[in-house]
Amino acid sequence: MDLLDRYLHAVEFWLPKAQRQDIVSELSEDIRSQIEDKESELGRSLTEAEIEATLVRIGRPVLVASRYLPQRHLIGPALFPIYVFVLKIVAACCLVPWILVGIGLMLYSPGYRAAHGSGWLGALGTIWGGFWMTALVAVGAVTVVFAALERGASTPKFLESWSPRKLPPVRDSNRIPRATSIVEMAANIVFASWWILAMSSPTVVNRPDIRITLAPVWVYFFWGYLILAAANIATAGANLLQPNWTRAKAGLRLATNLCGSALFCWMCQSDILLNISLVTDGTIDGRHIAAAINMWASRALPFAVGVGLLVLAVDLRRLIRVKAA
Amino acid sequence: MTHVTDTSSAYENLRLELRRGCLALAVLAVLRAEQYGYSLRKILADRGMAIDENTLYPLLRRLETQGLLVSEWRDEDKRNKRFYSLSHDGQLVLKQLLADWQSLNASLNAVL
Repeated sequence: MDLLDRYLHAVEFWLPKAQRQDIVSELSEDIRSQIEDKESELGRSLTEAEIEATLVRIGRPVLVASRYLPQRHLIGPALFPIYVFVLKIVAACCLVPWILVGIGLMLYSPGYRAAHGSGWLGALGTIWGGFWMTALVAVGAVTVVFAALERGASTPKFLESWSPRKLPPVRDSNRIPRATSIVEMAANIVFASWWILAMSSPTVVNRPDIRITLAPVWVYFFWGYLILAAANIATAGANLLQPNWTRAKAGLRLATNLCGSALFCWMCQSDILLNISLVTDGTIDGRHIAAAINMWASRALPFAVGVGLLVLAVDLRRLIRVKAA
Repeated sequence: MTHVTDTSSAYENLRLELRRGCLALAVLAVLRAEQYGYSLRKILADRGMAIDENTLYPLLRRLETQGLLVSEWRDEDKRNKRFYSLSHDGQLVLKQLLADWQSLNASLNAVL
């Protein structure tokens, strides 16, 4: 019975001290009775392999012991969906910006790259490692708060005292709120008016002390954004009359945002500032300032592409999910 | 193939749920007469309600903690065994549960 003793000892290890002896004695009695029954059925003693098979059937010691223990969990089934929801918010509001800032520093700060490893790969490795550390701290903090809530006396009260009146209204993803359409229309009208009045000429600022001139290519951007603003005003008007997304409207929104993003990316790359003339004592060179602004606009291209892709992803999702009218 | 596996897994889960509630009632009913763990298991198995040791003993402990069972260690056939029987509260609860069971059974039969 060496095998049985070892088994019972292993079960005993996982049991609370106060109940160990009691539980193991009872389990031992049961298993010995099983073995005796089997032996009288076969008319011989069980082999070690047969005893082993019996113990394997009963189960791994830790699992057997766990059946006697109270069911314990860090975060229970009632709070778990809220816990997962909060983790998603933490990921969206904390971890994603952290990655973006890290990538921004890696792209635009040679000092950061130099301080955090040799070259791009070293900096990327530092960001990746830092990301996991941040994620671990964030997830750990949320888990600790929820584990405390789980054990707190307030948990049942918090879950039980509720009113259906406080539930948020059902949101129709197909519906376009009229307020949104009004704001969109007003904003585009203001933008288009200012665009025509202030930006129609390549010389966008022409004062005695300063003169800012844009490159000849500006004419494409001027007309491009003006047409897009007109399209947005027309779309907002149509949305006011029929406040629901349709495939056509969602497709048009995707197309206008695609054009807007493409224009913006092109503008970042096109050295749009031709010259800045300043009336100074000669210590400041306007051309250098224009060149510096063009360089930073060019460097902003990855972010422009990123934001553009994000907007287009939202538009594409809307186009896919829009219900048939 | 996956569908078949899902169906058999769903059946197994539902069967276990169905048995879980019935087992406590069966244990209480058998313990109207005193039994020790292994003899109780054998009686239940003989009557078509086999229950493994990992389910029975924790259940007996739970029922005892709830005051429905009483137990004592006693020697029998040169072995120390723990004998269980219904407490006074256990008898009352069993009576109520049996009434519920009859009612539930009648309702279920009416639905079926």
